[in-house]
Amino acid sequence: MPELATTLSHIVGTRYCLTRATELLAYATDALPGNRRRPRLAVMPGTRDETVAVVRALYAAGMPFVPRGAGTGLSGGALADNVVLLGLQRLRQIITIDPESRTATVEPGVVNAALSKAALPFGLHYAPDPSSQTACTIGGNLAENAGGPHCLKYGVTLNHVLAATVVLPNGEIVSLTAPSEETPAYDLLGAFVGSEGCFGVAIDITVRLTPNPEHVHTMLADFSSIDDAARATSAIIAAGILPAALELMDAATIQAVESSIYAAGYPIDAAAVLLVEVDGAADGLDDDVEAVVRICRACGARMVRSASDAIERGRLWQGRKKAFGAMGRLAPHLAVQDAVVPRSQLAPILARMAEIGTRHNVRICNVFHAGDGNLHPNIPYDAGNADESARVHAAMSEIMELCISVGGTITGEHGVGSDKLAYMERMFPGDSLDAMCRLRDAFDPERRANPGKVVPSHRCKEWHAAPGAHT
Amino acid sequence: MTRTAADLLPLRGAELCVHCGFCLQACPTYLALDDENDSPRGRIVLMKALAEGAIASNDPDARRHLDRCLGCRGCETACPSGVPYGQLLEQTRERLTTGRPLPLVARTILFVFARPRLLGMVMFGARMFRATGMPALLARVPGRLGFAMAMLASTARPQRAYPAADPDGGRGTVAILDGCVMEGLFTSINRATEHVLDVNGYLRVAAHGQRCCGALHAHAGDAALARALARANIAAFEKSGAQFVCTNSAGCGAAMKEYSQLLRDDPEWHNRAAAFGARVRDVSELLAVAGPRTAGSLPGAPTVTYDAPCHLQHGQHVTIPPLTVLAAMSQLTLIPLTDSDQCCGSAGIYNLIEPELSDQVLAPKLAHIAASGAAIVATGNPGCLMQIGAGLARSGSPATARHPVELLAEAYRKS
Amino acid sequence: MTLQPANTGELQTIAHDARARSTPLRLVSRGTWPAGVTGGVVASTSLDLSLFTGIVEYVPGDLTLTAGSATTISEIDAATAAHNQWCPLLPWGDDGGSLGATFATATTGPCARSLGTPRDVAIGVQFVDGTGALARGGGRVVKNVAGFDLTRLMVGSWGTLGAITEISIRLRARPVVDESWTLYFTPGDIAAQSRLAALRRGPLAPLASEILTTAHAAALGFPRASALIRLGGNTAFVAAARAAMREIGRTEPCDTTVWSRYRALDPHPRAVTANAFADPLSRRIKMLFDPAHVWNRFECGTGAEGKS
Ligand SMILES: Cc1cc2nc3c(=O)[nH]c(=O)nc-3n(C[C@H](O)[C@H](O)[C@H](O)COP(=O)(O)OP(=O)(O)OC[C@H]3O[C@@H](n4cnc5c(N)ncnc54)[C@H](O)[C@@H]3O)c2cc1C
Ligand code: SF4
Ligand code: SF4
Repeated sequence: MPELATTLSHIVGTRYCLTRATELLAYATDALPGNRRRPRLAVMPGTRDETVAVVRALYAAGMPFVPRGAGTGLSGGALADNVVLLGLQRLRQIITIDPESRTATVEPGVVNAALSKAALPFGLHYAPDPSSQTACTIGGNLAENAGGPHCLKYGVTLNHVLAATVVLPNGEIVSLTAPSEETPAYDLLGAFVGSEGCFGVAIDITVRLTPNPEHVHTMLADFSSIDDAARATSAIIAAGILPAALELMDAATIQAVESSIYAAGYPIDAAAVLLVEVDGAADGLDDDVEAVVRICRACGARMVRSASDAIERGRLWQGRKKAFGAMGRLAPHLAVQDAVVPRSQLAPILARMAEIGTRHNVRICNVFHAGDGNLHPNIPYDAGNADESARVHAAMSEIMELCISVGGTITGEHGVGSDKLAYMERMFPGDSLDAMCRLRDAFDPERRANPGKVVPSHRCKEWHAAPGAHT
Repeated sequence: MTRTAADLLPLRGAELCVHCGFCLQACPTYLALDDENDSPRGRIVLMKALAEGAIASNDPDARRHLDRCLGCRGCETACPSGVPYGQLLEQTRERLTTGRPLPLVARTILFVFARPRLLGMVMFGARMFRATGMPALLARVPGRLGFAMAMLASTARPQRAYPAADPDGGRGTVAILDGCVMEGLFTSINRATEHVLDVNGYLRVAAHGQRCCGALHAHAGDAALARALARANIAAFEKSGAQFVCTNSAGCGAAMKEYSQLLRDDPEWHNRAAAFGARVRDVSELLAVAGPRTAGSLPGAPTVTYDAPCHLQHGQHVTIPPLTVLAAMSQLTLIPLTDSDQCCGSAGIYNLIEPELSDQVLAPKLAHIAASGAAIVATGNPGCLMQIGAGLARSGSPATARHPVELLAEAYRKS
Repeated sequence: MTLQPANTGELQTIAHDARARSTPLRLVSRGTWPAGVTGGVVASTSLDLSLFTGIVEYVPGDLTLTAGSATTISEIDAATAAHNQWCPLLPWGDDGGSLGATFATATTGPCARSLGTPRDVAIGVQFVDGTGALARGGGRVVKNVAGFDLTRLMVGSWGTLGAITEISIRLRARPVVDESWTLYFTPGDIAAQSRLAALRRGPLAPLASEILTTAHAAALGFPRASALIRLGGNTAFVAAARAAMREIGRTEPCDTTVWSRYRALDPHPRAVTANAFADPLSRRIKMLFDPAHVWNRFECGTGAEGKS
């Protein structure tokens, strides 16, 4: 071990190879609350070449590792349990922005919002906008296939990544590109997107940039029942309108936001609000706005208000984007959940979730990408209270079972990581899990990268055969 | 005062942190050093571990990373959960200083600031030295000494006499905190402050017995001395009977507004501190409420950019009033400054204790100022005036750092 | 010889067998282009997947649909049209071709730029691979990051890893206005061409816009037409787009059915070339999913192309 640290320090400089217990504390967590795994050491290369050298040194030493971007992941994906943590936050160079082809090539540690900021002078932005965009990295987004409010219309990370250079865990460098129509090839890039750090380390990423919309119209519809808001969502989707974003917040969330510094002016007596944004060419936008207003009214909205200017629009969004954090005020801990259900069934599912909450005596705060059916039921609680923790856990499992039972999925954007391993067996039959393991084995036969995540390892049939499987 | 469960936690307020990381990109030391241990989220982890006894209070790594914190509180503004980072830091530094002495430079400075007569002598000496022109000459010497000289040189201003204004006092009575550095080195800004308050209808009253605000002491972990200074100030300003306590130093303002936090465990003083804090105003706040009265041109109709002092922006959430003050000068062109909400690296006496890192934090600030092309950087805090002023001078920039109020006073005088 | 499994169980047995005996298999779904894929594959045994057909689940309110891989494009078009929706692919080729082949060959269509490609549209897949395993990736909801992405792996794998039995896709609402035009400008008119390019990049981008070759134009009955344009959106949007289009050159309206005729001409042939799937990573994948190397073994260089 000391030898490895020496080798790594040699590559990255002593300052960026942390070995002492105190300094490793900060790297023992990501944004998944209540989970702590102490890495063996943390190494933070400053260039792409250093990164390659580090991965090769780790391979030579037979040491598994976990890539980490900004550590904002909510599924424990960046937790390193007694293996090496590979911090990529120093790789934050925007290599090129090409306004002509509307693409950018960036290092993985570039912060999502920083890319959009850099593209602004060209009238462009990077469309996937996770609520954590001021903090999370493009590398982390790629690894999680991150989504965000505007992914309803513009698509998730997968739809915006054009290429990536990846160091495989054995030190091999491969260029992955989205296959073009003329030259058949496996969609290795598509397979890599969302691989949660288990397939290797992306060291540069080429993404599509999207023109800023000519016009944006943001509306806030205010409902006296969450059921009405859910019905309005389903109705807008069914009517074939494709809003840029369609977000739902319930009373508990509204109150948390309104008592934070990001108070957005949401009506605090509302049972739910819908934040609906339509954008595009000026022509025809009014028709979409009218249709949204009409549907919301028909579903019982008390009021539909439009943001009058960019400042008000920013305020309405700020409240939404900081909602998780604002819930941090309600109790010492927050269980954040992520699941997707069919959009036509939002209303009955929300009702059943409320019932589950009541039965377990926990407070569920809903704030989610309603247009995609991507739920985020969150429960503020005190982890120090064993009884309450048990109730939260029980309620969350029931909610996940419910989502699976209606044909939904256990994660829409936060990933499986270590937190949702157990649910994978509920979602997929054994052969499917084994097929996933095989896909991973093509990239990382020795399972050195982010070991033990995403697919429970006992589900991988060839596990015992894999050389180095037990390091 | 009623005690809540939160008061009994080892580190009050730390429980609010949900570990989301939203504060990382707001932190100048994280951006400069790229290590999460030098970020707000990482420091909170360290502070919690210290408070819980999981790491020893003499742990050198924990100390190093906590010492490097600028205390700029940029993280508080970015934090959606309302983590009171500044308070966590003060609680922790207090805990740490009980086990170890501060560095000699820090101790000396804090000692001097807490003793009015000694402070007066030191400031007098500094002014005399400044008058020799030596500091301006030595400002180009590389290293710390040169920087310190540049800081001192940057405080030099011609003394102005302002025509007596006849205040109607309609906007209320105000007592001004003189401020150690302000009165000591930026004397002319204090005169300017008095003048603009007069012009805008405030009636000044004296607050005898006022002392250093104690901010430096609290930030460095000398809470006992900070509390003593706070009590003295509360008493002095109570006695003045003034409606408002005015300061032109963002750092002092933030500290005074938060005296009630500092004295939260003192049943006798806590409420008085809260009442006192509620009366404290940055000078820009008082002016903004009053309009302020508009003024004509400054000589040469300069281009001006505004850099927000951390303790105004993040500590007091005062963001618009300084811009309102600048906007009162009709012919001045205000240019936006990129990342104006980021720390300049001054941070009290930080630039003297962590010179290298302070330089790293200052560098992007100077680059943004250069890119703005402005001739004047307006900022309302003595530390920032000196840090930016020195940085500009040493980088050969023709731009200067000025307090918004001195610009306004100047404009009043000319029109 | 042709094998025709009726269900996934039978298909798995065939796969096991083929692996055990190293029998190469040629995958055929609707067999609309027998000279295409099948021509390039070396195998004396055909695996006919046509019984995996029919819409399994279609909830119009969700805008999602799950169907057997041999379901034809025209079947899906008819079912969704009843709810004013469509499968956004509208792929090159005959509408009697199958959904499965469209995804297996990652075949796009003229609307791909605005509505998405197979990798964007697929939300879940079920398949039997070369080890005989029946595996499922993704699901039936529009957003899903559970597990490694077998869906993207199968899209565009040209039947070399296994047989797709079922696919889930996202649908789109049909635009309120959907109109098609022929656009005329002189072949060397650079200005007109750059105006067309600008229209395609701009906020009023058409659903589809195709520059026509002389031969294709003639085949469609528009001898001198330069481009085929499809505008879609609400009334005001299409009116503005139409006005912008008219700045480019002379236009004439035409029937929207022109698109299926144009697609059937398959103007953008694709082919499995010698170096397809040949990089080390792809070889490892092939080895892990088809260890006996029996699924759609391409004889490269002979121009395996099209879909079945
Ligand atoms: C308040 C809050 C709101 C959020 N909102 C959203 C949201 O709206 N939508 C959403 O999708 N997510 C959201 N997230 C989750 C999180 O921000 C995303 O998952 C994000 O993509 C993680 O990026 P990161 O840089 O923090 O990655 P990390 O957390 O550091 O890592 C995440 C995973 O990516 C891997 N990884 C990181 N970099 C690389 C690389 N270069 N190569 C290979 N693997 C790598 C890691 O091993 C790990 O498995 C939110 C999180 C928080 C705290
Ligand atoms: S106070 Fe400033 S330097 Fe310290 S952690 Fe917060 S943002 Fe960073
Ligand atoms: S932003 Fe606030 S809650 Fe989030 S990590 Fe930073 S201090 Fe903690």
